[in-house]
Amino acid sequence: MNQLLFQTSWWVPVYGLAGALLTLPWSVGLVRRTGPRPAAYFNILMTILALVHSGLVLWAVWDLPPERLLVPWLSLPGFDIWLTFVTSRTSVGAVFVITGLSLLAQVFALGYLEKDWALARFYALMGFFEGAMTGIALSDSLFLSYALLEMLTLSTYLLVGFWYAQPLVVTAARDAFLTKRVGDLLLLMGVVTLSTLAGSLDFTHLDQWVKVANLSPLTATLLGLALLAGPTGKCAIFPLNLWLDEAMEGPNPASILRNSVVVACGAYVLIKLQPVLALSPIALNTLMILGAMTAVGASLVSIAQIDIKRTLSHSTSAYLGLVFLAVGTQQDEVALLFLLTHGIAKALLFMSIGSIILTTSTQDLTEMGGLASRMPATTSAFVVGSLATVGVLPLGCFWAMLAWSDGVWFKAPELIGILLVVNGLTAFNLTRVFGLVFWGKPQPKTRRAPEVMWLMALPMVFLTVLTLLLPLLFWRWQILPSWSEVNPILVGLLLLSGLLGCGLAGWIYLNPRITKPVSLVGKSVREVLAYDFCIDRLYKLSVVLGVVQGSRLTAWLDRYVVDGLVNFVGVASIFSGESLKYTISGQSRNYLLTLFVGVLLALTLLSWTHWGWSL
Amino acid sequence: MLSVLIWVPILGAVIIGCLPESMVATRSRQVALAVATGLLGWSLYLSSQFHLSEPGLQFQEGLPWIESLGLTYQLGVDGLSLPLVLINSLLSWLAIYSSDGQIHRPRFYYILLLILNGAVAGAFMSQNLLLFFLFFELELIPLYLVIAIWGGARRGYAAMKFLIYTAVSGVLILATFFGLSLLSGSSTFDYAVLQEHTLPLSTQLVLLITLLIGFGIKIPVVPLHTWLPDAHVEAPTPASVLLAGVLLKLGTYGMLRFGLQLFPEAWRVIAPGLATLAVVSVLYGSFAAIAQTDMKKIVAYSSVGHMGYILLAAAAATPLSLLGAIAQMISHGLISALLFLGVGAVYAKTGTRDINVLRGLLSPERGLPLIGSLMIVGAMASAGIPGMMGFVAEFIVYRSSFEVFPVQTLLSMVGTGLTAVYFLIMINKVFFGRLPDSLANLPRVRWHDRVPAMIVTVLIVFLGLQPSWMTRWSQTTAVALVEDRLNRSTTTFAEVRSVPSDPDWLSLQLTGSESPKRPIH
Amino acid sequence: MVPATRSRSVHPLSNLIDRLEQGGALLPDSPENVLEVVGILKSYGTVLDAYQRNLTYIAEHQFLVLFPFFKYFNGEVTVQKLLKHWWHDRINYEFAEYCMRGMLWHGAENLDRYLDSDEFCQRAAAAIAAKVRSNPLMRGLNRLSPDFLLEQVRMLVYYSVLGQFWNVMSRLFLVLSDRYDRGEIRAIPEVVQHVLDGLVAAANNPLTYAVELQGQRYEIIPESAGLTFLMDAAVPYVEAVFFRSFPFFGTVSYNAQAHQISPNQADFNYGALFADPLPVGGAGIPPTLLMQDMMHFVPDYLQEIYMRGLRGSDDLRVKICLSFQKSMFCVTTAVIRGLAPYPLSTTDPEQRQVNRIYLEQWMDRLLESRLVTLN
Repeated sequence: MNQLLFQTSWWVPVYGLAGALLTLPWSVGLVRRTGPRPAAYFNILMTILALVHSGLVLWAVWDLPPERLLVPWLSLPGFDIWLTFVTSRTSVGAVFVITGLSLLAQVFALGYLEKDWALARFYALMGFFEGAMTGIALSDSLFLSYALLEMLTLSTYLLVGFWYAQPLVVTAARDAFLTKRVGDLLLLMGVVTLSTLAGSLDFTHLDQWVKVANLSPLTATLLGLALLAGPTGKCAIFPLNLWLDEAMEGPNPASILRNSVVVACGAYVLIKLQPVLALSPIALNTLMILGAMTAVGASLVSIAQIDIKRTLSHSTSAYLGLVFLAVGTQQDEVALLFLLTHGIAKALLFMSIGSIILTTSTQDLTEMGGLASRMPATTSAFVVGSLATVGVLPLGCFWAMLAWSDGVWFKAPELIGILLVVNGLTAFNLTRVFGLVFWGKPQPKTRRAPEVMWLMALPMVFLTVLTLLLPLLFWRWQILPSWSEVNPILVGLLLLSGLLGCGLAGWIYLNPRITKPVSLVGKSVREVLAYDFCIDRLYKLSVVLGVVQGSRLTAWLDRYVVDGLVNFVGVASIFSGESLKYTISGQSRNYLLTLFVGVLLALTLLSWTHWGWSL
Repeated sequence: MLSVLIWVPILGAVIIGCLPESMVATRSRQVALAVATGLLGWSLYLSSQFHLSEPGLQFQEGLPWIESLGLTYQLGVDGLSLPLVLINSLLSWLAIYSSDGQIHRPRFYYILLLILNGAVAGAFMSQNLLLFFLFFELELIPLYLVIAIWGGARRGYAAMKFLIYTAVSGVLILATFFGLSLLSGSSTFDYAVLQEHTLPLSTQLVLLITLLIGFGIKIPVVPLHTWLPDAHVEAPTPASVLLAGVLLKLGTYGMLRFGLQLFPEAWRVIAPGLATLAVVSVLYGSFAAIAQTDMKKIVAYSSVGHMGYILLAAAAATPLSLLGAIAQMISHGLISALLFLGVGAVYAKTGTRDINVLRGLLSPERGLPLIGSLMIVGAMASAGIPGMMGFVAEFIVYRSSFEVFPVQTLLSMVGTGLTAVYFLIMINKVFFGRLPDSLANLPRVRWHDRVPAMIVTVLIVFLGLQPSWMTRWSQTTAVALVEDRLNRSTTTFAEVRSVPSDPDWLSLQLTGSESPKRPIH
Repeated sequence: MVPATRSRSVHPLSNLIDRLEQGGALLPDSPENVLEVVGILKSYGTVLDAYQRNLTYIAEHQFLVLFPFFKYFNGEVTVQKLLKHWWHDRINYEFAEYCMRGMLWHGAENLDRYLDSDEFCQRAAAAIAAKVRSNPLMRGLNRLSPDFLLEQVRMLVYYSVLGQFWNVMSRLFLVLSDRYDRGEIRAIPEVVQHVLDGLVAAANNPLTYAVELQGQRYEIIPESAGLTFLMDAAVPYVEAVFFRSFPFFGTVSYNAQAHQISPNQADFNYGALFADPLPVGGAGIPPTLLMQDMMHFVPDYLQEIYMRGLRGSDDLRVKICLSFQKSMFCVTTAVIRGLAPYPLSTTDPEQRQVNRIYLEQWMDRLLESRLVTLN
């Protein structure tokens, strides 16, 4: 039985893809008389199958060592590609979390998108999304992971572009694709290089290989940086972070997954690549610097946002920055724990704001207020999600942060400052959002705000309860440190920073006597933060400029130099084109004959010389 | 066996030619389609009879023809030509199927398409240099006429440019063939015989460079490419499909078959240059594509870029890279066919290909949603998104060429990123956004317009997921091509493939049983 | 020809003002338009009837049901119906709820005043108390968050109000179609007159809402609240659904920093008279649901005309939407006439002047509407 479960673990990604395929009759418009909801049900069914299957596998592998599963895919002379999967507690657990959140998001979407006739396409993409992500979780091969990351890029593009007729969606989808693509391209260079150098792309092999690898520092650095670029794009880490902000144009149920598990996939691959990155101190330092910059920068940026989705998406970047730091300090377990706790909390937050957006028809924080008493499920989801995100109460991220800081305590204590800043700023921001959305007096757009329908409320409440129970599960799995192991200074610092953030924001935003909007910093600073440090201008002045100028130059060269130069033949061609125009009007058979005769003449001529010569 | 692929289309052409005037309008298309279907079936049958483990030529046929010229009618296929023959049959069928039913002068049109089909098949199967050349020349006449008669507004210019460039290419190739035949002192053009000869390096170089310029025009390699965008823009859709899908492959096929195989030593000398030229082609084509506003030009320049990968892999000349080159030929053939079919459908319905005019064509009720979706698939396949065959082919090319030319490979990989840029610009502008009122009354899209693109899409995705169906035909041949060279080469080939360490230690060390790597035979 | 005693309006839509003053409608009169409008109103009437039945059913029988799994079944749950429901072979009642949400969110002046009054709170609280009596979970929820169920009741009131409004309208449209079939309707002004007569006849019908829980009747809106059909259902409906509505996800960005959506709800112009018909059928365009529903009930004579179009059945929903907008302009004309301070045909110059100002106010709002493309 267990053997069968192992052998079939690679089916889990296939369920998602199969669900995507099943939607085709509706998404391509073959079925027109009836509506697209069966496509959604098929996908949900497939996700349930995937969840049950991965649950069974998880149960089976819980106490077993990792086991690899090799699926031969392509055998070429001197180069074979195996799709390698690994079933371990971590990988299958990740699959379970992904399918679980995917199921919740899909049920949520049934409500959120109930009036959207393109439902089938949405679910096709969600199935695709889920398939790619579960594949990444199970993959033990950099090749497979790379391929699936690219498929994530594609499905992100299509999901962000779901409402393709909306102008901002169009640019957002493009930017999401191209930004990620920059990372992917560098990653591909790394993959090709690594494949040549190491001979195998299986993570298990790479772990062995790095012990004996003898690379020049330059090669190791370039390789490390290239490999780092992919996750940087996927996790929305500076400088490839802007796409996540723009991707918020997409439908909210996709944002639930994007901010929780999709970004985590990038980090997951990064964790697996960490031994290779460790070959180069420069790569590792770059990883740390990018992580630190993103963690602090994105936390600040998120406070300056007035859009409810964007303020949370920047905080996602910030947390992924912390994960990067964890990977950089070689705490893989902590990074995974962080991904899990952050993913669940963020998914909950995004569900909550999804119901807010649908109920109030606005995403503008300044237009909201007073929702708390009328939307209990949404409110509790937001509150629990927030508490699980910051280190204030012993919920999810508190433990992850504790483990994180514990790990760097001896290695690099200065990093704890970054954690405290991020924790404080996030606590401040979430309290700010809470104050603006749920507290205070209702505004015109929030005047009538009935709680959302059960299809949205149910997954939200379920996840709320799960978030509250998560520490208990951790305790059962013995992930939590015992009391004697806990560093009281760290706990104190964490709580202090979190409470400080909460308290400060509470004093400002929960206080009816302070009129909103509040101006905390000067206008120019706020503008810079609100527009994400103007990183888009950085793009415009670097990559975009290079490509645009390069293409203009090439087009000019092509038109005036190359074509002109080679067209000394062209002059003749225009001339003969004129003189041969009659051929177009019907006498082409004559022309055909002429051409044939010409060729034959040439042949004869040449062959005659040839013949004569060889005599 | 193989002659069928040449003479049945000719026969079909004759039948169409003999149709009574009253039946021309309706029957020409039917006859052509029937012949094309038969040919496709026959090619599939041949593939099923093909021995995968046999490295040499199969289904050989030979008849003496003009002995004094050294011209014999000798045919045969191996793993290099068989996939191309298959693609030729498939795309010819699609081209005929997707041709406009109301086309004017149908009799002549279908005759030309059938002749084209036969000539190209002949070129891929010829085992005599002169015979190859004959077919190579024969193929360009029908294409010239198709562009010149059924083309767009500037068809005269484009067709003439195409003809002259290709004719120059033909002359250069012919000159090389004669040179080779003369210098090797034999009075034959038999491929097998010529292959046995070894010429001095300097002679080889002269001949090879001449030959490469000839084939370089056909591929086309920058800076000899300018005929291609013009020809594509003016050509009717079926001709574009054939031009990009099959005819360009004659150039790369010839380069591998006659360049690499007949001049192995010289090839190694100029290979770094070729690789650099490939980089130039890739980047130049991609950058030029970004600046275009005509959808067809974008796809045409993308062809220039993507054919560069074949050149890169050919330059590397390892078994894996040759396999990559063949895979890239197939993948580019299908992907560019898909893109041209999509562009053709857009043009047929909207009357324009200007990406600044078109918008919102994904609109489900009044736009071309399915065509748009298939175009997105095509663009993504071209940009090397995994799950489609473009990725597999490009990955093999990169992986194999990296061992030999790391810098050039990395540089040309930038082309994949640029591909995403220009195709995304095109997709976003043409298919996303709101359908403007000026495009709100497009004619109905019928299944007939969609079926060809759907067939190609299914193939692209299927072969992307199951690439061994694409690579297995050519594996043995690719190895044989290189081994043959190794055996004949005076210097050892080891320095070329010195980069990769033997990967086997790893798997042996780790598990013993599972072997993710097999040594090169 | 405009009589000499009348000055022409200088409004950009002055030709429409002229036409209205001369007894015409916003929509130009032509036999094709009549056929299209009546035909589409026939199918709209059929769909509306289904909608209103369901809205009323939900308001009365799904009162505060937390998991209203069968809310679209109108109380009739059979296996066959369930399978059809799952196959999505059904009326898209979601659209009715969407319109209801539009009214709820934009508000109806008198109704809202009543909903915020103590009287309503007491009446609703009584009904809520009856509902949660046997359900400890809901009782706890109600105690923790007392506004939660109250707000739900407010929403249910809107369910009921819209149901009552559409109940009248659906019959009105179906009768119109019958009269057309009998040859009694030949011009657009006659369509308008028919709608106007129907609205006037129902104008003072009281709006009431009561639920029966455990055998006892709880009046939530009593007749004494003084809410009437025309002013508290029809007019807010026109405002909320015809004019304002919600920005569609598929065409407008909700990004707060992009400021594409006005902070002022009164500025909203995403309603039926303004919406762009071309994207119908695409992603993020809720009216697609209505067009889809109407597609099943288009009368043969109209279907025939649709099939003659360039794209045949491929763009049916867009064509239906175009016809639908035409018909809604007829309804709007009826509302304009019905609410005019004086009869539009008056000859008294002073009354005419007042009417003129009134009409120009309407035209101001219609400036950006699809009307311009229809004329």
